[in-house]
Amino acid sequence: MGSSIRKAIELILTGDKELLNILATTARVSLTSSLIALLIGIPLGMLLGARRFPGRNALTVLNRTLMGMPPVVCGLLFYMLFSGVGPFRHLQLLFTVRLMIIAQVVLITPLVTCSMETFTADIALPLRETAKGLGFGPWKRFGLLVNECVYPIFSSYLLAFARAIAEVGAVSMVGGAIAWKTNVMTTAIMQYTNRGNFTLGIALGLILLTLSLLVNIVLSLMQRRLSR
Amino acid sequence: MKSSAFKKSYTGVTVLDMPAFEWCEGTVTAVIGANGSGKSTLAKVLAGIEAPDGRSRPLTGAAVGYLPQKSYAFRMSTERNIALNGSDTERMRELMAALKLDPVAKRKAKKLSGGETAKMALARILMGSYDLLILDEPTASMDMESTLAAEKLIRDCCSRTGCALVLITHSIRQAKRIADNVLFLRNGKLTEQGPAEKILSNPAKEETRRFLEFYGA
Repeated sequence: MGSSIRKAIELILTGDKELLNILATTARVSLTSSLIALLIGIPLGMLLGARRFPGRNALTVLNRTLMGMPPVVCGLLFYMLFSGVGPFRHLQLLFTVRLMIIAQVVLITPLVTCSMETFTADIALPLRETAKGLGFGPWKRFGLLVNECVYPIFSSYLLAFARAIAEVGAVSMVGGAIAWKTNVMTTAIMQYTNRGNFTLGIALGLILLTLSLLVNIVLSLMQRRLSR
Repeated sequence: MKSSAFKKSYTGVTVLDMPAFEWCEGTVTAVIGANGSGKSTLAKVLAGIEAPDGRSRPLTGAAVGYLPQKSYAFRMSTERNIALNGSDTERMRELMAALKLDPVAKRKAKKLSGGETAKMALARILMGSYDLLILDEPTASMDMESTLAAEKLIRDCCSRTGCALVLITHSIRQAKRIADNVLFLRNGKLTEQGPAEKILSNPAKEETRRFLEFYGA
């Protein structure tokens, strides 16, 4: 473990170009996919939690089912759709960062949606009764609901980012873990481990954890500032 | 102000069968009855929170204010919660002083106690002006002093704005203190109505008498 920590520090201090490339790809994939998942999942979760409409229960069940989708199944599905025999082969997205982001969005959005749906369902009825009783129109009610959801939005983002940065199954299948192109931290760890280079694997793991810790600290500080 | 007759059912069971009714302006009408008698349903349907059977609203063209039993404290300070319903700072100061909310004015509304939240919610609804104002057990979680202050504000609001005020309450004593008229609901039906003095001291129906005896009127 000690040698892994030394190796991790050495890689960072020497500015290892491959490591920097892996870090940049990881950041791009994780931040973009978690942000897109947030933009889709928040309104969808709020809609499912706050409104009653035909098909709502079916959508909720579908979303909860998708939450449990194994990443490799998601990866396989996208591989089949975008590979040389798939219906979307002409888009030429297989083994690109773009498809890795799309696959992660599909994996993460149900988590964000469910988190928002659960929170919104708890507050929607008393909030609606109170706001409607005060004579507020639908837009003001919506504004108040969004204001109530600030903390859950932060929590959902943390959840989405954590899932995105730690995910390996889908990104390795659709990205192919190509060095200097689609290799992210998790796929790189897998590669080094498969080659028997445990020290470098653990070093990358430590860097991944540190990166996740830093993002969590920044978001938690922002959340705390908002609560003042 | 007249509300038309309406019914409200849940899963085929009628929980409220209300005849057409005239709500007198500038008066307080207390609605009393046992649990499940339809008091809160009456409030929600009149306020437009829930649709009656047939979906045609019993009150049209009237500005209706409604304070639910468990009012929501929005994620902002107490004074901002109150100011949500009007910008008259003088009126806001008056309400906050009367309900002794000044010490918690800057505090987050979510951190208020149950009684303080009820006072904040009452001050907030009283910032608005309505033709019909419905308060569902507004003082249920308040102490004696706050209850008396709240009752004074309720009466003042009624005489100041001339609105018709509907007070859902379990407290017969409260109804005696501030109501002009009383409606007695039982099993979703309006069984007795009239001036508060008469109904609360000499009800015509045996069920009303038993209810009043039990609650120590």
